[in-house]
Amino acid sequence: MAEITFERVTKIYGDDIRAVDELSLHVAEGEFMVLVGPSGCGKTTALRMLAGLEEISSGTLRIGGNVVNDVLPKDRDVAMVFQNYALYPHMTVGQNMGFALKVRHESKSEIDRKVREAAAILRLTDYLDRRPKALSGGQRQRVAMGRAIVRSPQAFLMDEPLSNLDAQLRVEMRLEIARIQRLLGVATVYVTHDQIEAMTMGDRVAVMRGGQLQQVASPQDLYDHPANEFVAGFMGSPPMNLLRARIASDDGSPVMTLGAQRLAVASRYAQSHELPTGAGAEVVFGIRPEDVDVLSANDAASISTRVERREALGAEILVHLSLLDAEGSSAFVVNDEGAVVSRPTTLVAKMGPRADVTVGDTLAVRFNPDRFHFFDATSGQSLRRVTP
Amino acid sequence: MLVVAVVMLYPFWVMIYNSLMTEAQFLAGKGFSLGSWKALASVIPVGQEVLSSTIICTASILIILLIGLPAGFAFAKLRFRLSTVVFLAIVSAMMVPLQAILMPEFVNVTKLGLTSGYIGAVLVYSALGTPFSVFLFTTYFRGVPDELIEAGIVDGLGYFGVLWRLVLPIAVPAIATVTVLQFIQIWDDLLVGLLFIQNTSERPITVGLAVLSAGRTTSIPELMAGSLISALPAMVVYLGFQRYLVKGLTMGIDR
Repeated sequence: MAEITFERVTKIYGDDIRAVDELSLHVAEGEFMVLVGPSGCGKTTALRMLAGLEEISSGTLRIGGNVVNDVLPKDRDVAMVFQNYALYPHMTVGQNMGFALKVRHESKSEIDRKVREAAAILRLTDYLDRRPKALSGGQRQRVAMGRAIVRSPQAFLMDEPLSNLDAQLRVEMRLEIARIQRLLGVATVYVTHDQIEAMTMGDRVAVMRGGQLQQVASPQDLYDHPANEFVAGFMGSPPMNLLRARIASDDGSPVMTLGAQRLAVASRYAQSHELPTGAGAEVVFGIRPEDVDVLSANDAASISTRVERREALGAEILVHLSLLDAEGSSAFVVNDEGAVVSRPTTLVAKMGPRADVTVGDTLAVRFNPDRFHFFDATSGQSLRRVTP
Repeated sequence: MLVVAVVMLYPFWVMIYNSLMTEAQFLAGKGFSLGSWKALASVIPVGQEVLSSTIICTASILIILLIGLPAGFAFAKLRFRLSTVVFLAIVSAMMVPLQAILMPEFVNVTKLGLTSGYIGAVLVYSALGTPFSVFLFTTYFRGVPDELIEAGIVDGLGYFGVLWRLVLPIAVPAIATVTVLQFIQIWDDLLVGLLFIQNTSERPITVGLAVLSAGRTTSIPELMAGSLISALPAMVVYLGFQRYLVKGLTMGIDR
């Protein structure tokens, strides 16, 4: 077991395509670190550099304190689980699992013992003599895990290992992988584009975008305190509502203008956030769908909206709302001197399964005053001043 | 289908039927005898010629596989400078007809003193067969997932280890395809054997048959018996590897 450290690790393809840009990240011993981000964000490249399958353009990569920039993959003592499992088709399950040990010239009895131990953990004992093609997707996935486990490596590297499974199996294997990782206590770097996997599996989650690390935090911290607009929009399903707003001060208390509607902001936000103070200053206001409540009647703290779409998911209903302007039409965010941006001010609210809402209804909604998020309108960075 | 089968099998029937006659019976158009088979062995050294053909085929195919397999793997899976250009150059060599390079090859091989023994012919056959094998193996290995190779590398293998222990076992259809096609081509070839093997004691069966038919009087039953002996190994190899051959030739289509 060992810790893993990326120190300003960069990968440049060709002349100037920076797939990974100065990534600095520390994975502690036994920690389950999830790298998450959209396609092309550099998460898989980072993992492949860690495995030794990609050269590092600059920076330092350490495993167990040793610099491994120029160490061959076979000498890094890491095990990798691939997206397509990469099982050896001409070998049985047992041979697949024991292959790395065979390459290392371990004794047959030792290989057999380790394979049987791993098979027991993964509930594969009855399948040891089968070929991969005779296994189901979930079983193949477990064999791929088994191949990693038998090696007792310093670290597990997993590249979207669940993406080929159906939804139900994915949930099962999510729990299974997390269980095995906790059982073995091996540092794990897990790459996924699925933020639910990231939230449910990782001790910490590193969000990447365009080759750059956006934020590293525990899943809950990431959800509650996103460092920027991207993380806020990426983590959570449905994502956080992000609305452009003007902010002004009304006798020392901040007031926000969303479309044509004004909303008082608790004065504590002026202390906890670096809210802009200039006249007509813009921010991006964020509110999670579960923090949007429907009121029975308008009051001073409510916002008038119209139901544009309704998605019943069984356990909850997602209601797409548009803010109304003074005339009762759907509002658009008004930028400088009346120039209208293309994005209407729509938001999504999570409601209970029995909520009586119909498309076209006018609803008064209230945003949970304790759960406001503010981001810089230009840089997208969170305006939060204090760390929780 | 039946018509095609008749067209394909009729020559074999003619060979078998006519070989089971003596010269006199053949001219009379009826009778049965194993005389031509017995006479064949006394006219040409059939056993030696079959052995020569086998040696030439085996050695050439081994060289073709030894070069084609790693080269195909490298072109398909490794990134190196000018790989596309080199690959295209090798593949374009497939388009050059044997007749176009035969004389320069002959001059070279003669200057190197390789016309006695099998080496000259083996080298020429290898050179002619390698571009096709490189092309076929490259195509085949492109269908092998990169992750399989990377899994092997992370498991502790080098590229040769990956090739030998992981890729080779799953490349059997491609190996069979190259083997069968090259075997048929080399076994049935006359020209290279005729030119590049000077010793009569080392000539392959096709040259032996050519000698048989080029005599002043040619015994048709003996020629048929010889032709049957010549055709048989290629048929056996083809039938033995047929199921791999189909898989090998259609690979890539279903991807």
